[in-house]
Amino acid sequence: MEALYDEAAKTYSAALERLARAYEADPDLRRDLLQDIHVALWRSFEGFDGRCSLRTWIYRVAHNVGASHILRQRRTRSQALVGLEELENLPDNNSGQRADRNQALNRLLSLVQRLKPLDRHVILSYLEGLDAASIGDITGLSAGNVATKIHRIKNLLARQFQGEHDHD
Amino acid sequence: MSTDVIRQRAGKFERTISRRNLREYLTSLLVVILFAYFFVKADNTLFRITWGLFIAGMIWMVVQLHRKGSARGIPAAMGASSCVEFFRAELERQRAVVSNVWPWYLAPLVPGFVAYTVAYALEFPRPLSWAGLALIDALVAALFFWIWKMNARAARCLQRMIDELSIPGN
Repeated sequence: MEALYDEAAKTYSAALERLARAYEADPDLRRDLLQDIHVALWRSFEGFDGRCSLRTWIYRVAHNVGASHILRQRRTRSQALVGLEELENLPDNNSGQRADRNQALNRLLSLVQRLKPLDRHVILSYLEGLDAASIGDITGLSAGNVATKIHRIKNLLARQFQGEHDHD
Repeated sequence: MSTDVIRQRAGKFERTISRRNLREYLTSLLVVILFAYFFVKADNTLFRITWGLFIAGMIWMVVQLHRKGSARGIPAAMGASSCVEFFRAELERQRAVVSNVWPWYLAPLVPGFVAYTVAYALEFPRPLSWAGLALIDALVAALFFWIWKMNARAARCLQRMIDELSIPGN
């Protein structure tokens, strides 16, 4: 169990930090969330039976802790979570701003932080470089659904950022 | 994060959960003790029945609260469920707590309030006392209605989230 955790922590430490960042904007709460993810991972390896890959297991645990975090926080947050349809219809408030790298990353993050848990799982896994089949294993969605979601999210993000590049 | 730090954190997490549950039970115990005091001090049978009903209602409520919604630790099998399965199970668990609060949260206290109303009305048979009693009963009824509506709204919101998970393409 400890060997598995050590391997997971060593290999996926940075990915888990990025994931926590996408689930929680507040730095203190984010630190707590990241610790919760590590604790959940450590405990989860008691039940790891090798029926899925270590990577799938780690991402499932991390996303499931993230989803629980969203559910816990949703009563205290004023901003409602939105689906892809609603996000596609949001006005592009920042289209006049110049998009340097940090600004673009922050903007991407703030868009992701507004998504509902399942859409968030998909886009974060995609941004981590996972293919549709792997994302399907983690989320429980079919590979076709994952591909459709990714396509829509990519189009959405491209449109959101297009306006900025037009002003460069 | 080292394994020792994780172990410490896990222990701290479990202790926090236990403390939270203990706090809820102690609060309920204090209320039961208060009702038991009124029960012992009551000078007629009807008031005794009233406080007995309140005590029974509180105990029933705490048992149900423990069964349905007491704070729990991190499930060890988290990685065995896909995100959709896990999220649906969490939403369904929360919906079960709030979907119908009458049988386990509100109704157990109703017999106590009814008995109190009868006992008080018989003990103080004056129009002014009855008017005050009617006002208190109306406030309690309004509070119960508000609790029920708020929980029903939360249940509808959770149901919408569950339904969204079942839509093809989601």
